[in-house]
Amino acid sequence: MSSDHIHPEPTTFLRKHVFSVDHKVIAKQFMWFGLIWLLIGGIMAMMIRWQLASPGTPFPVLGPLLFPATGGVVDPASYNMLFTMHGTIMIFLGLTPLLIGSFGNWCIPLMIGARDMIFPLLNCLSFWTLMLGGLVGFYSLFVPLGATEAGWTGYPPLSTTVGTQGTGETYWAVAVFLIGASSIMGGINYMATIIRLRAPGMTWGKLPLTVWGLMFTSVLNVLFIPVIGSAMLLLISDRVFGTSFYEPASIMSGGVGGDPILYQHLFWIFGHPEVYILILPAWGYCCDMLSFFSRKPAFGYRVSVGAMGAVTVLSALVYGHHMFTTGMSAMLGESFMLLTMIISVPGEILFFNWLHTIWRGSIRMTTPMLFSLGLIFVFGLGGLTGIYLATIGTDIFLHDTYFVVGHFHLTMAASALFGVFAGTYFWFPKMFGRMMSERLGKIHFWGTIVTLTIVFCTMFVSGYAGMPRRYYDHTSAAYLQDLQWLNKITTHSALLLGAFQLIFAWNFIKSRWWGKLASENPWEVGTLDWSTPTPVPHYNFKQIPTVVTGPHEFSNPVLGEDRDWISQTEELPAGA
Amino acid sequence: MIRLPHLFPAIARRAAPAWALMALAGSVTAQAAEEPARRMGLNPPASSYGQMFDDLFMMITALISGAFVIVLFMLLVPVIRDRDRKWGDGTGKPSHKASFDHGRSLHDKRFTAVVSIIVFFVLDASVLYVTMKDLREGFWNIPAPDTPDVVKVEVLAQQWAWNFRLPGTDGEFGTADDILTLNDMVVSVNRPVQLNMTAKDVIHSLFLPDMRLKRDVNPGAINEAWFEPITVGTYDILCAELCGFAHYQMHAKVRVLSEADFDAWVQEASILALAAHDESDTEAQWAWDWKE
Amino acid sequence: MKGTTLLMASAGLLACLAPAMVRAHSEPNSDPNDGAATEEGHGEGASVTPAAGKGDGPHTHAPGQLDDLIISEGAWLIAPGADWFATRAAAGEARFSESETAAEVTEDGQGVDEFESGWIDSEGEYVFRYDEEEDEFAYWQWVDADTLTSGRLLFVQYCASCHGFDGAGYGRSAQHLRPPPRSFQQSTFKFTKVISDYLPSDQALAELVKAGLDGTPMLPWALSDMQLADIIQYFKSLSPEGTGWRDVYSEISDTVEIGADPYASDPAAGVAKGRDVYHRIGCYSCHPGYVSPAAINTIAGKDAGTSYRDDLTYPKATRSSAFDVQGHYVQILPPDFTFHSMRSGRTARDVALTVAAGIGGAGMPQWKQSEPGGAGIPDDEIWAIGHYVRSLVDEYHNQPAKRAAFMAGLRNGD
Repeated sequence: MSSDHIHPEPTTFLRKHVFSVDHKVIAKQFMWFGLIWLLIGGIMAMMIRWQLASPGTPFPVLGPLLFPATGGVVDPASYNMLFTMHGTIMIFLGLTPLLIGSFGNWCIPLMIGARDMIFPLLNCLSFWTLMLGGLVGFYSLFVPLGATEAGWTGYPPLSTTVGTQGTGETYWAVAVFLIGASSIMGGINYMATIIRLRAPGMTWGKLPLTVWGLMFTSVLNVLFIPVIGSAMLLLISDRVFGTSFYEPASIMSGGVGGDPILYQHLFWIFGHPEVYILILPAWGYCCDMLSFFSRKPAFGYRVSVGAMGAVTVLSALVYGHHMFTTGMSAMLGESFMLLTMIISVPGEILFFNWLHTIWRGSIRMTTPMLFSLGLIFVFGLGGLTGIYLATIGTDIFLHDTYFVVGHFHLTMAASALFGVFAGTYFWFPKMFGRMMSERLGKIHFWGTIVTLTIVFCTMFVSGYAGMPRRYYDHTSAAYLQDLQWLNKITTHSALLLGAFQLIFAWNFIKSRWWGKLASENPWEVGTLDWSTPTPVPHYNFKQIPTVVTGPHEFSNPVLGEDRDWISQTEELPAGA
Repeated sequence: MIRLPHLFPAIARRAAPAWALMALAGSVTAQAAEEPARRMGLNPPASSYGQMFDDLFMMITALISGAFVIVLFMLLVPVIRDRDRKWGDGTGKPSHKASFDHGRSLHDKRFTAVVSIIVFFVLDASVLYVTMKDLREGFWNIPAPDTPDVVKVEVLAQQWAWNFRLPGTDGEFGTADDILTLNDMVVSVNRPVQLNMTAKDVIHSLFLPDMRLKRDVNPGAINEAWFEPITVGTYDILCAELCGFAHYQMHAKVRVLSEADFDAWVQEASILALAAHDESDTEAQWAWDWKE
Repeated sequence: MKGTTLLMASAGLLACLAPAMVRAHSEPNSDPNDGAATEEGHGEGASVTPAAGKGDGPHTHAPGQLDDLIISEGAWLIAPGADWFATRAAAGEARFSESETAAEVTEDGQGVDEFESGWIDSEGEYVFRYDEEEDEFAYWQWVDADTLTSGRLLFVQYCASCHGFDGAGYGRSAQHLRPPPRSFQQSTFKFTKVISDYLPSDQALAELVKAGLDGTPMLPWALSDMQLADIIQYFKSLSPEGTGWRDVYSEISDTVEIGADPYASDPAAGVAKGRDVYHRIGCYSCHPGYVSPAAINTIAGKDAGTSYRDDLTYPKATRSSAFDVQGHYVQILPPDFTFHSMRSGRTARDVALTVAAGIGGAGMPQWKQSEPGGAGIPDDEIWAIGHYVRSLVDEYHNQPAKRAAFMAGLRNGD
């Protein structure tokens, strides 16, 4: 329950900066955590692309350090480890902490007018559990046989002791379990906070869409992370205690056994909602920022909320489209196909609302706006190519080819990551009191979107031509040798893409300590978070505000000629 | 473009993205030009249902290209037309005011509903219809048990090779003249090939790109698939499910012979298989009950 | 508040450490084969369930225990010796000690380390060691624990799925595989192109692994030389005590020598000569004969009425003397070169080397003459066979119509 009582500020170093229960500190902890892991995951991607474009050549600088036994060349087993850890790191240790942990923590209490999360200690525990999970995963790189090589999807029997020996895979499963626990804690916290701690007057209809996106994400987190938690527990049990949940009786030698397909079901019942978990916050930020920077209300607020809600509900029912080739019955397959196509409709609706939001706006081309517009572009590309994969007739061919890789990178890496970038450039002034460089931001944006489009659209071409994914060397099979030129294009662009991210890293670090000081509301936005002073005091609001206006009342004619925005605590003037 | 700090010559600054693109294009062209052969598409389909995939792919491409063009238009027009040209010039006054519209009128809601339904029918339902037809007539249309002239093949995938078994001249699996090949599937043109597949160890996936066929091969279960080759030739088989470090090396060939050649080959191979057969070597037998 | 924090943190920590506390088994689940088995024979219409072979002994593919990934102790393995030592002695880098029971090897005066009854130079290289029990001087190589550990880790990742964790050849993927994967607990190799009385050198083994064996799941693996070297030392160390690389009587040899190709400039002549040699020395007793019996009589100078085995155009199976699957010695069908792929015969040179060295334990004799005029055939004839066999592959492989015509002609007596 929100109260006017203000807790005293913490005094010790540990309480202030390490085990803080202040959502703002925790948000920054998640941010640094996520950015560092994004860097590690990105370097792994560079190594993967290097090997693909020039098979058998050593990776410069880091290669000889990491792979001395092969003179710096990534060997096939390590290659498998690289793409496995790349996926795991980017999803669980990069995007989730940034999109949900960092911006979720920052925005929710501030936007709803609360002093902090409803369970501040749980918040702290959520971060440190994630840290523990990350450390366990990191540790798995150093066990004798190295980290897991079974893909981030970890299908058994490849991921049981049949296919993967040693302890790396077990540690991976433990890490995923811990990371999942962290997300569940966060999800509970966010939902309870949004439901219970909204300031007076902050009705559901006046919430910024950012909060709605985070709300739906939290619902999915709480519902479906336990499923992958159970999948991991069964996997750990198979590996450590010799059970056979996932190991089948061989058709050729009788006996009782389990079913590897069980894992696939469990994994994808989580896995498909997971991709919505990643994109819903980005959709929320995009909805809001398009409105903020077009100086226009978010078009169709309720419809957008309804669309996000529909996606949330439907997300559990479509997971089978990851398993079309496993030999499921025709009826089951077609049901999943129909549902997958249905779930695209709310997504399309959201799209129209975005495009309508900017239509006839007064657009300010700031870096956050560029990334939000870019999100429309890449999500359009990625989402539309999803139709190929939803359709069984084409998915049969395209499954497990580079087509899928291109598709999910455009929807996850590009779209969700653009949400991260947009959020970072947008909230940086409030979080750190300084502006990030617009010039570097624009270079970052243009470089990223051009190279990224080339990288992943080339993958559509190679996937359509039949290039399978998770291959160490495409020149080994005669069928793929004449596709090697596409690998070279992809790698060149990918290396450039990586280089442009260094510009972002430099911008971030430089601006953090030496950036231009920011005003309290540089973007001229009316949501409650921008009504606080900078830096935001530990109690957020001296007086819990009373909300009377919606978050998107831009260019409302009643505001007159002098301004085009109004704070949520201010009453709209009487109509002209 | 937004005004940038005056640190570099204006032209260089403005053209920065163009420079990046040109550098990229140059290096890419240089490298790609070294590759001896370049393919962008697929070989013509070599199976009876293969063309269905090609047609469906093109159909979806046409549909979503149209959709994407519309999206791009609605994205670029505001970006160019509706830009606040005076933002950041210090006056705090925009070049024009945005149009105020919450988009919550009944008209807007109806418009959204209508467009959604149209989009669903154009993009999704049409594709759904075509693919359901394709599945029933092609990809998942396993030949009925009494279909004559079916070439039955048992596929046993392992790390990292493909074992194939044909029933030999007696037509029965599990007998002494079963033809066993490794990484070499031999079938006849114009005769349906029916596959029963399982794996010894981990999940693999049989991928015949020229036939447009893909089906997972799971240990502990038998998956069925089929295809009918329409052209004589040798085609590739790849593995399409991560199965270990040598997943990329797990390729094989399917040789489609003329019917006469195939019969002759089966004849010879059966005799050779009989010669190789060791009745006492029970551990070597791996046939199973054919699953229709 | 603080107590709760502590409790939750401890719980989290314990949850994380639990798998480490429970020993993570590296042994994969073996086939749950014991017990349930349907006895069905190979009747007509009846399906075969390989469990029907219960009487043959258990055919669980239990790939062996792997208790520890880390090896703590190094191993003595037999090394190519005599010449090496003699060279070193001549160069003044080695000398016999006074007792003549051991020799001291010095390397630029950098001193030696002492290991039991052997001596090792400062680079850990070959050592001359006196085996008291056998009263033999033997040349041994010390392979240290780090190399063996690295080899084991690589072996587990790259090789164990077929060769088993103990190297006995019963990996999970080796079920029903014919030919079965090599057991490293025996010390016979088929295709290293080394005369079969000898153990193959490291170089020969490395070449085999890099080239792979066509027509088998033994693919050319992408391993670096350093990785290969470690793996090779490891599976050499799998020889049981007193056998193979741990046997004082073992000798190591390199790839057999057959000189330069005399038919390099005129392969057609090699093919023609090879056809004659092939049918003169009687390759057709196991492999097919590719000329009519009458032609064989002419080539080999035999009487017109000589009888040959039935079906000379088909190969004749033999039973291996060395390669078994859980006690059952497997049957081997020698390849019909027009139909089957050869394991190790991509070029004329490969075939010639294989012919020269023979295929240990598989019934293919060694044709290299150990001394001029002795058993076997001269090197130029070995090369000729190499060219001839490759010509058969090039002409008829994957060409069913052409081969059918050729075979039909043979069977009609042309």
